[in-house]
Amino acid sequence: MSSHDPFDDLAAELTALADFLDVPYPPPNDVASAVRARLEPTRDTPAISDTPATRETSATPDAPEPSDTPATPEAAPEAPPEAPDVPGARRHPPAPGRRDDERRPPAQRRRRARWRIVTAIILAVIAITAATPQGRAAVRAILHYAGIELRLGESTPEPVTTPTPLPGEHAVAPADLSTQVRFPVKTPTALGTPQRATVSDNGRVASMFWQGGIRLDQFDGTLSPYFFKSVGPPWPEDVPVGGVTAWWLGGEHPLGYLKRQDGTSVPLRQAQATLIWQSGTVGYRLEGAGTKERAAEIAATLLQ
Amino acid sequence: MDDDEAIGRSLAGDLSAYEALVARYSALAHRTAAMLGAGDEAEDVVQEAFVKAFRHLSTFRRDAPFRPWLLRIVANETHNLTRSRGRRSELAVRLSATAEIKAPDDPEGSAVATDRRARLLEAVRHLPERERQAVVCRYFLQLTEAETAQVLDWPLGTVKSSTHRGLARLREEVGNELA
Repeated sequence: MSSHDPFDDLAAELTALADFLDVPYPPPNDVASAVRARLEPTRDTPAISDTPATRETSATPDAPEPSDTPATPEAAPEAPPEAPDVPGARRHPPAPGRRDDERRPPAQRRRRARWRIVTAIILAVIAITAATPQGRAAVRAILHYAGIELRLGESTPEPVTTPTPLPGEHAVAPADLSTQVRFPVKTPTALGTPQRATVSDNGRVASMFWQGGIRLDQFDGTLSPYFFKSVGPPWPEDVPVGGVTAWWLGGEHPLGYLKRQDGTSVPLRQAQATLIWQSGTVGYRLEGAGTKERAAEIAATLLQ
Repeated sequence: MDDDEAIGRSLAGDLSAYEALVARYSALAHRTAAMLGAGDEAEDVVQEAFVKAFRHLSTFRRDAPFRPWLLRIVANETHNLTRSRGRRSELAVRLSATAEIKAPDDPEGSAVATDRRARLLEAVRHLPERERQAVVCRYFLQLTEAETAQVLDWPLGTVKSSTHRGLARLREEVGNELA
């Protein structure tokens, strides 16, 4: 074993000990699929008006992430990968000015930092993993899109059992909605005037409600996320809607709110299947439309 | 498909070939990351390492073995993680439960051996970091001295001396008796 004779027996003992050491590891094929999903060239990057230059044009799988792309405010560009023979180099340089770096606990920041990738890449990962069952099970990511933080996990998250309203949510007359919020409010013509409406969080969120449990939330989609959604398989599915790509979350899932002041996660309720998208500077989530097709139809009438 | 063929095809853009390579080395990569201190984040470290390895595959010398080259990237990722956590890396392993049933005819001797293994593992855990890394690479991961030098990015002499000091310290801690 060792060239140091006095320790040969100890070396042999250590080698034997190695057989008794348990190190858990995931199924190798899952790891391989997850890695592959991250390396696949982008093939289906949505054209989102507020996410400039998200299309990765290179056909080579190892194309570096665009480092000068603003993407969304949350998806800060990742540093180019360092050479593997530089052990001292930091994997992720600090991103000064990232609002959430100040308000999130360190553990969450670290996790976010590790998975932070330019939006285009992550969207592509989702598009690809949606097609491969193994990738779906293995890849984990946090996606910021349209003012929503999607926490993509490997298994179905625990449901929220106690519904909570949005912070400061109060009813307003549907006709007054546009005067109570900080951005232009639209109404989907497919649904017409809502039965009721609410404004939440000091005019940051406008919500409309129709018969049959249909609900549309509109919020400033360019800032840090307002909502988070914890999602297990099946993963979000991309749906083209009037020139932008929306994402369909086909199952019920825990919905929460991220407080402006300190980024605290507030669980809200178990949301039904939801379509999320962004148009201009506003993020939208349409819940309760039932099917992906119906949701896309309704969304399209809002975009016009 | 051997490593060289898989690497050649991966370089040509065949992701299925790389997938096969990842699957082949996945368990070893997890073991390495966990033993060098990645703890419960070993999975993240390993995935990141495989992604980086692919992106740097063109720098891999085809006449050299793939295993230590890959494990060096895993070790780097682990090092970056433990450094960013700002604390000492830990040896994230536990003694297998199956250790108890190795010698059913000799329960007393088996218990002694189990106790001995537990003590030895504890002693390894408490070695100074560099000595522990050397011992882990040489004996738990069963790398050669040259491979250990490559994986840890140390001079060969440092591997030899750290291993030697680690063994000497272990001898002091747990004594001579063999399991």
